[in-house]
Amino acid sequence: MTYQEFKEAVIEIAAEMQIDDYELYYTESDATIVEIFKEEIKNYKIENSMGICFRCVVNGKAGYASTENLTGEEARFLVERALENAKSIESADPCFLHHKGDTYAIVNDESAVSKSVGTELVDAAMEIQKAMYARDSRVKDGSQTNLVCQEERYALCNSNGLDLEDKVCATLCYASALASDGEEMYNGGKSKIGNLRDFDLKSIASDAVEDAVSTIGAEGVDSGKYTLVLSNEVMSMLLNTYSSVFSAEEAQKGLSLLKGKEGEKIAADIITITDDPLYKDSVLKRTFDGEGVATYAKNVVENGKLVTLLHNLKTAAIAGVTSTGNASKASYASVVDVSPFIFYLRPVGGTKEELFEAAGDGIFVTDISGLHAGANPITGDFSLLSKGFLIQGGKKTAPVKNFTISGNFFTLLKEIEKVGEDLEFLQGRYGSPSVLIRNIAVAGR
Amino acid sequence: MLSKELVKEALRRALATGADYAEVFAEHTLSKTINLVSTQTDTIRDAVISGVGIRIFKGTRCVSGSASSLAPEAVLSCASKVAEALAESAVLSDIVLRERLFGDRHPIKVVPSSVPNSEKVDYMREVCLAAKNYSEEISQVTGSFLEVDHNILIATSEGLFAQDRQIRSRIMISSVASRNGENQTGAVRPGARKGMELLEEYAAKELGREASRQAVTMLHAGYIEAGTMPVAIENGFGGVIFHEACGHSLEASSVALGRSQFVGKLGTRIANPKVTAIDDGTIPNAWGSINIDDEGTPAQKNVLIENGILKTYMIDKLNGRRMGMESTGSARRQSYEYNPTSRMTNTYIAAGEDKNEDIIASIEYGLYAKEMGGGSVNPATGQFNFAVNEGYVIRNGKICEPVRGASLIGKGSEVIMNIDMVGQNVARGQGMCGSYSGSIPTDVGQPLVRVASITVGGR
Repeated sequence: MTYQEFKEAVIEIAAEMQIDDYELYYTESDATIVEIFKEEIKNYKIENSMGICFRCVVNGKAGYASTENLTGEEARFLVERALENAKSIESADPCFLHHKGDTYAIVNDESAVSKSVGTELVDAAMEIQKAMYARDSRVKDGSQTNLVCQEERYALCNSNGLDLEDKVCATLCYASALASDGEEMYNGGKSKIGNLRDFDLKSIASDAVEDAVSTIGAEGVDSGKYTLVLSNEVMSMLLNTYSSVFSAEEAQKGLSLLKGKEGEKIAADIITITDDPLYKDSVLKRTFDGEGVATYAKNVVENGKLVTLLHNLKTAAIAGVTSTGNASKASYASVVDVSPFIFYLRPVGGTKEELFEAAGDGIFVTDISGLHAGANPITGDFSLLSKGFLIQGGKKTAPVKNFTISGNFFTLLKEIEKVGEDLEFLQGRYGSPSVLIRNIAVAGR
Repeated sequence: MLSKELVKEALRRALATGADYAEVFAEHTLSKTINLVSTQTDTIRDAVISGVGIRIFKGTRCVSGSASSLAPEAVLSCASKVAEALAESAVLSDIVLRERLFGDRHPIKVVPSSVPNSEKVDYMREVCLAAKNYSEEISQVTGSFLEVDHNILIATSEGLFAQDRQIRSRIMISSVASRNGENQTGAVRPGARKGMELLEEYAAKELGREASRQAVTMLHAGYIEAGTMPVAIENGFGGVIFHEACGHSLEASSVALGRSQFVGKLGTRIANPKVTAIDDGTIPNAWGSINIDDEGTPAQKNVLIENGILKTYMIDKLNGRRMGMESTGSARRQSYEYNPTSRMTNTYIAAGEDKNEDIIASIEYGLYAKEMGGGSVNPATGQFNFAVNEGYVIRNGKICEPVRGASLIGKGSEVIMNIDMVGQNVARGQGMCGSYSGSIPTDVGQPLVRVASITVGGR
């Protein structure tokens, strides 16, 4: 069965079962994945994934069911499961299906990415791989280049007559360099998302190698309080991990400490955080959210003040505001949640070197790991394995590793002293410039 | 799920351009999660996952494809696309599929999907209520009941045709305690390769109270001072230390590519002589257990380290080709969309001879890590980290006040040498392990152990 046939079958069954309010959410994705190890194709993969979620609203309760199996029998099973699930919901929260009438952005075709074919991906990945080995003799086998070209289609239709479709196409590159000084191994990497023809393959390779070899000989640091410059990548990772604190869903459930803080100062004056699903340079633009509401750009934090939390239709109704168009579905099978689309800390000014200068003595943190366990969005606490470079006399000096940085995200937002100019996005979705912060606990030797 | 004739034709097409091995993996999975907020059902996620993953090998080169469909035309088209991408000349031979039954070491009593939501909700409501009523400081509780009915079919050009049905259930409860604008959390998440009978093993009230006890304890805790010190790590989920510090680096997915701190170390001492570590996929009804792995190899009990000596890696077929070694039944994948690779199942440090009281008494100043959070590792450098959810300061051999916000970091090959006391009370805890082939259920485990010296991240 095609999606269209399956959709018609579901609509018919819903009518038969006297379900008046429902929505069908559909995603399909085609991807080509290339992994190069040494100078050989380690893996070449062709992926087609597809799934449908049926959501019905019965007696004011939402029931969900999803499937990847498009048969007539399954269409009936899908509707039955959703109905049974709706009947099991006790929460008194309202639920909505969106109506027609929004004005949706038209994504400029010129910015759209053209789909790369497999051979182009193999050639490009091979070139990066060769360039990594050529760049430095300390680069070892175990270095790898992955390229993925993915085209995704999102469609949403509901019983209110809404019928929407978005298409996103992007190429992702990840070059991972492994270097050795004969004793220890050091790793580094460079990722890029966008259009393959815009990628500078040589510089991807050299950035990945530089990221690895510059850390050769890294030592530990003494425990104590330090001034830190968090690299743009590190700050983006923190923003990603803690993005749920800006969700009205989490706040209304009492799982975000920003609950009821709208209009209050929650961060330093220099902090402005924006969610822009239509961000000009992005290949991941989305015109409607997980409920079909038109997306738009909004400041969540403006000059340190919390302007709004992110809302979907339900949380907005509870709060007595309008949806910010941030209904999200992590996958087609997920229940509607709230999350940002393209979320970033606005650049202020100053190069990295100027931040080092302002820091005087401290640590430039270039990587953190273990965020899923070492950073808790409900408490704000974090304690994270880190690596980076010492800052001595206002200059970046020796590499350091095997230390933790510990603190609290809410305190960090208030105490950021400087925000740089070097805005970069992580996987295209979370972005930040490098930032300067003082008096952070470091555990090391 | 798929007929033998269809699978045979798919394998034939997949081999058409010169591959020396082909594999069809088909899956039909029912997965449901019932979520409660406070004491009410809030949302239910209910999914059918259904599709095929096909791999072909030519030497160590792998071409693969996947499609979200089990329709014959989709399966055959996936096979043809995979073959086209290899595009070499073929020598076709006939495939004879022999159906193999490996038996079921993990019998299920009650299939969760056959039980209405209400039974699960009633149990979870009791869990949540107990968590909520534990203390006035509990500001919120969330609970989930998760059930998975994962049906797989694996057929290969070597003639294997095998199926397995993996049913798993898990109870998850998380409590938030609040005071003066501060939050702290606690959680309990038992699971098993079992059906509804899992619920009979845990008193609902105890689970709820335990999650809240952790949250309230941490709310009244101070921060530990950062530094390097001896640490006693409790049994059960404490085994995450071996999983991160050592386990991942023993997976062929890292070893075969030279991206592991333990490459070339077979037969040599890599751990303290007190450490014997095992990965055992055969433990009846354990969360990480399997009958066959996702390449169709029967589950094994693999002794990884015996008295400090490295005995074996965890190996899948493709990486086994690079290493010139046989599969150890360790190939796993989240779903048909991921290529399988070597992963852990139920991994634990075996019981030693030290007494718990001696381990605590041996520490003049250090940390007692009672409950662990998750962690991560870079297998190449061995740098790992994991979070301590509930910790206590040890002073003069006695467990003293609780401390929050600690994480433990180190280099796997060093820390595994530093595990110098091993207790006797082995217990396992459940986790979801994320790596190259997706998110899979794994158990970690150990008795109480002492790490002589490790960096404790604090404030």
